Amino acid sequence: MVKLEFHDPSGVLEVTQPHAPRLTSLDGKRIGFVSNEQWQAYRMLPMLKEMLEQDFPGITVLPIDAYPQGNALIGTEETAALVKKSRVDAVIVGNAA
Amino acid sequence: MKNAVSGVGLAPDASMVTFPIPMFLPGSDLSSLKERKREFYDGLTRWKSEFTQTAGSAKMLAVEGATFEDALVKANNLLLTNLWGDGLPLWPATKERVDWILRGSTLPRTHVLGKFPPRGGITTIETCAIALAMAGGRPEYLPVLVAAVDACLAAEGFDQLQATSGGPFPAVIVNGSIAKQIRLNSGFGLLGPDPQRPAGASIGRALRLMQQNVGGALPGVGTMAIFGAMRYTNAVFAEDEEGLPPGWLPHATARHGFAPGTNSVSIVFASGVTNVRRRGAKKETPEEDALNGMWRMADFMRTPNLAALAGWEKGTPGIMMIPPIVARRMAELGWTQNSIREFLWKNSKIPMDQMRRAGAPAWIEIDANPVTRDSIKLDPWPICQKPDNIVLLVAGGGHPTHSYWLQAHSPTVEGRVIRVPETFERLLADADRDLGCGEDVCRV
Repeated sequence: MVKLEFHDPSGVLEVTQPHAPRLTSLDGKRIGFVSNEQWQAYRMLPMLKEMLEQDFPGITVLPIDAYPQGNALIGTEETAALVKKSRVDAVIVGNAA
Repeated sequence: MKNAVSGVGLAPDASMVTFPIPMFLPGSDLSSLKERKREFYDGLTRWKSEFTQTAGSAKMLAVEGATFEDALVKANNLLLTNLWGDGLPLWPATKERVDWILRGSTLPRTHVLGKFPPRGGITTIETCAIALAMAGGRPEYLPVLVAAVDACLAAEGFDQLQATSGGPFPAVIVNGSIAKQIRLNSGFGLLGPDPQRPAGASIGRALRLMQQNVGGALPGVGTMAIFGAMRYTNAVFAEDEEGLPPGWLPHATARHGFAPGTNSVSIVFASGVTNVRRRGAKKETPEEDALNGMWRMADFMRTPNLAALAGWEKGTPGIMMIPPIVARRMAELGWTQNSIREFLWKNSKIPMDQMRRAGAPAWIEIDANPVTRDSIKLDPWPICQKPDNIVLLVAGGGHPTHSYWLQAHSPTVEGRVIRVPETFERLLADADRDLGCGEDVCRV
């Protein structure tokens, strides 16, 4: 038998930052949207807001334009600071395709 | 679908709800959003990453076969089933082959160049050598690949360039004597295979393998490149510096300020390649022949397809290549690099009514760059901020009929000096021994 050994070409991955912890429940929580205004976000995100408000008592869902919108703005430190300042428990980011 | 931001240190998976593309189109049926609302709720409350850390050095894989050929087939099958291949035969990156390739490095194999986005694979000199080994490369190619990878990782928006639907590919322009030394093509067929000048294919294929395997740009998963042109080998070629008319500057000097003769790479992210028939067909005077050809180039560039938007301020709308014989004739008629760029810039401006007809202003309005957004006031609209943004190269076969336009989606044009090891002459002599004497590059 001939044995051929060779390197895995995919490189090493290193996780330095964990994903945000999940919420125990959405009841009474404060939720925001970070939107790039693309791919029908202007239709989908309000629909999602309405569903969340119907399904979870006491939930507060911020308007989809509560933060700056658009690909140029959603990744900025300024937007991150506004999200933090708004004291939301979680954000939903959309839409990518 | 993978997490597009894992390259910044997050796990490669993420809490996502994905839908087929029709739902994202104007006027779409959104009923499935309601049907799958529970997935959004679970994503906020129950989702857990399944990623397992893979820190440390690259692991070794192994296959066994009754014969070497059998083992080679199994190795290729394993690479493909792990989504690490490109469909063409690969050299498995054995320890011996990778160590041989690493003779071309000036840096330790563990030296980290960065994280390859969007997946975020840690990219070392060894990672480059593994890809080059798989792509059939040689040690003397490694300095060019390392410089190209370094330039890509530093390029503005490289994570988006890797993933975007427009599918830009790196066009690696090499200047300096290293191009001839390692058998890189600057003449006939420079964008395709040439057995006498095979370096570009291996270097470009290695870069593409890294984009896919380390960076995660897998079609339809990590890259949404709808068509994905030039994705086997990218485009790695040299400028024909010997073909430059007197007084004309090499690209790396004009664009990056490197001293003439410096070994360097310059990366443009191109999204298309098109031949432009330049030569006249009847009894044109030399002046008419030159001017007609210039108009055909400018007319082709004057299109509101918005590919150039990404590089409007600092990058480039594309690379215009003209063959050396054309450059010489134009120089004899008084054209300079500056006057050619100026002509192309001035005459590729697009009247705003044509921009509006094509719905182009909306894309300008949402551009991330405020300088680009401000350009909407210009009528006619120039495809880039200034003539110098246009990359003008002297390259291609010694024939006057065509020029070549590589349309770009390139926020920057990134340059890097190529560093070669002290033993480089020995590596070149080994290449002469192995590949035969290639034209005037023989060293044995």
